[in-house]
Amino acid sequence: MSVNTIADVEFGVELPSISPDTSLANVKRFVVAAGWDSPRFTDHDAAREQGLPGALVPGIMSQGFLSAMIHHWAPAAEVKLVDTVFRAPCIVDEQYNINGVVTDVDEDTGEVEIDLTVTNEAGENRVFGTAKVLIPLG
Amino acid sequence: MTDVNAPLDVESLREQFLNVVFDEYKLTLEAQALADYAIACGETAAKFTNPEDPDFQAPPTIASSFQQRKRYPDGFPTFKGLGMDAGKAVAPDKPMRPGVEITARTHMHDIYTKSGRSGRMVFFVNRMEFTDADNILLGSADTSIVIREKPQT
Repeated sequence: MSVNTIADVEFGVELPSISPDTSLANVKRFVVAAGWDSPRFTDHDAAREQGLPGALVPGIMSQGFLSAMIHHWAPAAEVKLVDTVFRAPCIVDEQYNINGVVTDVDEDTGEVEIDLTVTNEAGENRVFGTAKVLIPLG
Repeated sequence: MTDVNAPLDVESLREQFLNVVFDEYKLTLEAQALADYAIACGETAAKFTNPEDPDFQAPPTIASSFQQRKRYPDGFPTFKGLGMDAGKAVAPDKPMRPGVEITARTHMHDIYTKSGRSGRMVFFVNRMEFTDADNILLGSADTSIVIREKPQT
């Protein structure tokens, strides 16, 4: 269900999860746009030569996935904070899920807090954090 | 000569370095790069993906991508290792739009420790704040760096 006003938000509800595009081509598009273009993000072999398990999805791209997931759930949401901890790397071309759970709702101000995670196929958290968003009062 | 293995005097560092701007520069965002950033992240709203949209603006987390020109203030002590990225927080306040000159100023916002049986970890939080030409705050982005000290024997 798409959320349009604060009355649509339920405490404890899980936001619809999304599976982001972590392909090499999409990560390349992102890092060029961000000014972060580096082989560690766009070349598996070069990343392995640096001791990494493969090309990395930048942590700031994971933040972008989390914000997009919030907007898919509530298109009019105004993101006021995304606070993330990068617990373990996300690897390009691997599959991840972007997840969120509503942990607080202020019906007077429209502020909603959301716990966020990025999980891999094994269900392990790679990134976690919180978001604060404003949802229209109606 | 500084002993890079000596424990950091956190209280002294806080008194000396907190809330002092040590890095400042100006930047201007480019519309197509903002749209590509948003599309790559999976945003679908036209205000993020279409530069022709009348409300076109940067995606909310864009400020996390702005990099400091200086990592630490002048005179900040050196320590062993480069430190690891412990997280990022971005707090948009007003939309950032292409073609607008933005000033980015960075200060050390917090220094704190966590201790355990394996030693002490010291966290440094650098906060970059963004203002427009009228000095209106557009948002901020925090970068946390952690170093792990070796237990003193």
